[in-house]
Amino acid sequence: MQKGKGMKFVGDSRIKVGPKQTIPKDYSEYPGRTEPFWPNFLLKEWLVGAVFLIGFLCLVAAHPSPLEIKADPNTSGYIPLPDWYFLFLYELLKYEYAAAEYVVIGTIGIPGLAFGALLLAPFLDTKPGRRPTQRPIAVILMLLAVTSVIWLTYESASAVNWEERAEYSVANMTEVEVDTDHAGYEVYANNCMSCHGDSLQGVPGMAPELIGLPYDAEAIKDIAQNGIGEMPADMFSGTDEELNQLAEFIVATNSDGEGSEGESSGSESSNEGEDSSE
Amino acid sequence: MSNKKNNQVSRRQFLNYTLTGVGGFMGAALIAPMVGFAVDPLLKGEKSGDFVYVLDVDEITETPQKVSFQVDQTDGWYESKVEKNAFVFYDSNGDILALSPVCTHLGCTVDWATEKENEFFCPCHDGRYNAEGENIAGTPPTEPLHEYTFKVEEGKLYLSPETHARGGA
Amino acid sequence: MLNKIYDWIDERLDVTPIWRDIADHEVPEHVNPAHHFSAFVYCFGGLTFFVVVIQILSGMFLTMYYVPDIENAWESVRYLQTEVAHGQIVRGMHHWGASVVIVMIFLHTLRVFFQGAYKKPRELNWIVGVLLFFVILGLGFTGYLLPWDNKAFFATQVGLEIAESVPFIGTEIKTLLAGDPTIVGAQTLTRFFAIHVFFLPAVLFGLLAAHFIMIRRQGISGPL
Repeated sequence: MQKGKGMKFVGDSRIKVGPKQTIPKDYSEYPGRTEPFWPNFLLKEWLVGAVFLIGFLCLVAAHPSPLEIKADPNTSGYIPLPDWYFLFLYELLKYEYAAAEYVVIGTIGIPGLAFGALLLAPFLDTKPGRRPTQRPIAVILMLLAVTSVIWLTYESASAVNWEERAEYSVANMTEVEVDTDHAGYEVYANNCMSCHGDSLQGVPGMAPELIGLPYDAEAIKDIAQNGIGEMPADMFSGTDEELNQLAEFIVATNSDGEGSEGESSGSESSNEGEDSSE
Repeated sequence: MSNKKNNQVSRRQFLNYTLTGVGGFMGAALIAPMVGFAVDPLLKGEKSGDFVYVLDVDEITETPQKVSFQVDQTDGWYESKVEKNAFVFYDSNGDILALSPVCTHLGCTVDWATEKENEFFCPCHDGRYNAEGENIAGTPPTEPLHEYTFKVEEGKLYLSPETHARGGA
Repeated sequence: MLNKIYDWIDERLDVTPIWRDIADHEVPEHVNPAHHFSAFVYCFGGLTFFVVVIQILSGMFLTMYYVPDIENAWESVRYLQTEVAHGQIVRGMHHWGASVVIVMIFLHTLRVFFQGAYKKPRELNWIVGVLLFFVILGLGFTGYLLPWDNKAFFATQVGLEIAESVPFIGTEIKTLLAGDPTIVGAQTLTRFFAIHVFFLPAVLFGLLAAHFIMIRRQGISGPL
């Protein structure tokens, strides 16, 4: 190697002039059938990557990503649920010694210990042996941790009522125009809105939507007075005239919804039309 | 000997081509939907707006009147009412003209008879248009003020929110 | 022509050794799935990186439509998902990619752990890797809020309460994350957006670079 006085640079830079040393390092460290990264090995990796990508795109195409109804802090009875990979932490907090006055154990103590140990694993497991059999403690602890994470995730996921959650999904949401000037609207607001929502959309876990009902006005009157299914009787309190208005209102809103949807997709090319056709 | 070497080179080349092919496939599969996503505004095309009532025909004079009207605008997810202005008057032929106040030079807003009588004037670069909205030679604008599409029904003037250049005027 | 441009640059910057080192380094037999099928476990790291690339690309495109504002966030997500060409696919990539990247990084971590590949001299790379794991989890947590639907809102509220339970500085942490001591709202959303789109990715890039440079420096760990 040229050193000191004999060294020549490109201009005033520190890049040396002359033929470059581009022969790769000799990797005879692990004797065997080694092969260069480019193109031999990378090709194999990319084949794996391509298969993986196809699988991934199939997953994406088969499962539209979920979107629930817009955040409404007043939604009562909503059970929060984190993404699945946080479920184990979420579940941990349900245990007696990881909640309430011990919550610090659940939020900081156990996860901190586990992730701290993971971070510092090379300094906790310092013996040179690499085989799992040569370091039973580390391996057993890891197996325990993995098992408990999987177990907690499973416990948490199996406790969730997925069908009820699906009712919050936008895909299951039907929107109707509510005619607030209708005589029956006020009756609806006084008697039904607290359970069935301000636009008849229902409240998941509490009461179903009142859109697309298979009942006529008479049946609706009967249900309002005598209840049906989980709906108790005597939810309606008012005069017969109000009852008539209420039934008319619900029937009218139902038919309006259908009517306007049909019209808008026919006459306008606006977004609303596309919505209803999808 | 040389034959053998040739074979080696072509094997490496083959690997390189395959590598590029697989890489291209992965890149294309990833990027294609995203490009479609990004160029969506081009795919959507222009939406034609609904005609909006502006004023009665018998209110129209030969002097340009500035009228404002509101149109429903859907901008992606954002729906709003947008106020638009128009200068409405009868031109020398007695036809109705509804001109957009957007200067054809660089998009400033012109006004009627502010600088000179019987002229539209754009304050940005002193652009001037005559009483028919035609650009006056020697001033920055290169074409007449654009015109709203309009229709008259039962004595009422309706404007469409879209404007177009004045063909042949 | 291209060769001449390359030579001109190479003379001044000496770039050849950089890519020759990456391109020509010999990959040992024990990590090559073509020789040992069990070597597919060595693919998890690469696949994690691949999904991270998918996340970065799809995320970049999603911000063309998304607005971090409580009035419009949900509407914009719904719009891009239902009205925009391929919106369902692009959001789907980002949504499912988030899950897949967690799965992959989990498998990669387990591979490295059970092979004891974190032992001397690779301790630092393990630490960087675990930090990457934390960053990815952070990206998952902050990204969950952005669509501003019910699920996002309530899960974040719980997350913030967990942050609040940290002894001594819990309230401060929560306020810093949420932007307000009591409200989970407009300021929370913009903060989470900034963290998700700028701060954590910046950390991610730095750690990824360190991770890869260290792998090249030290080479892959030998067979067991």
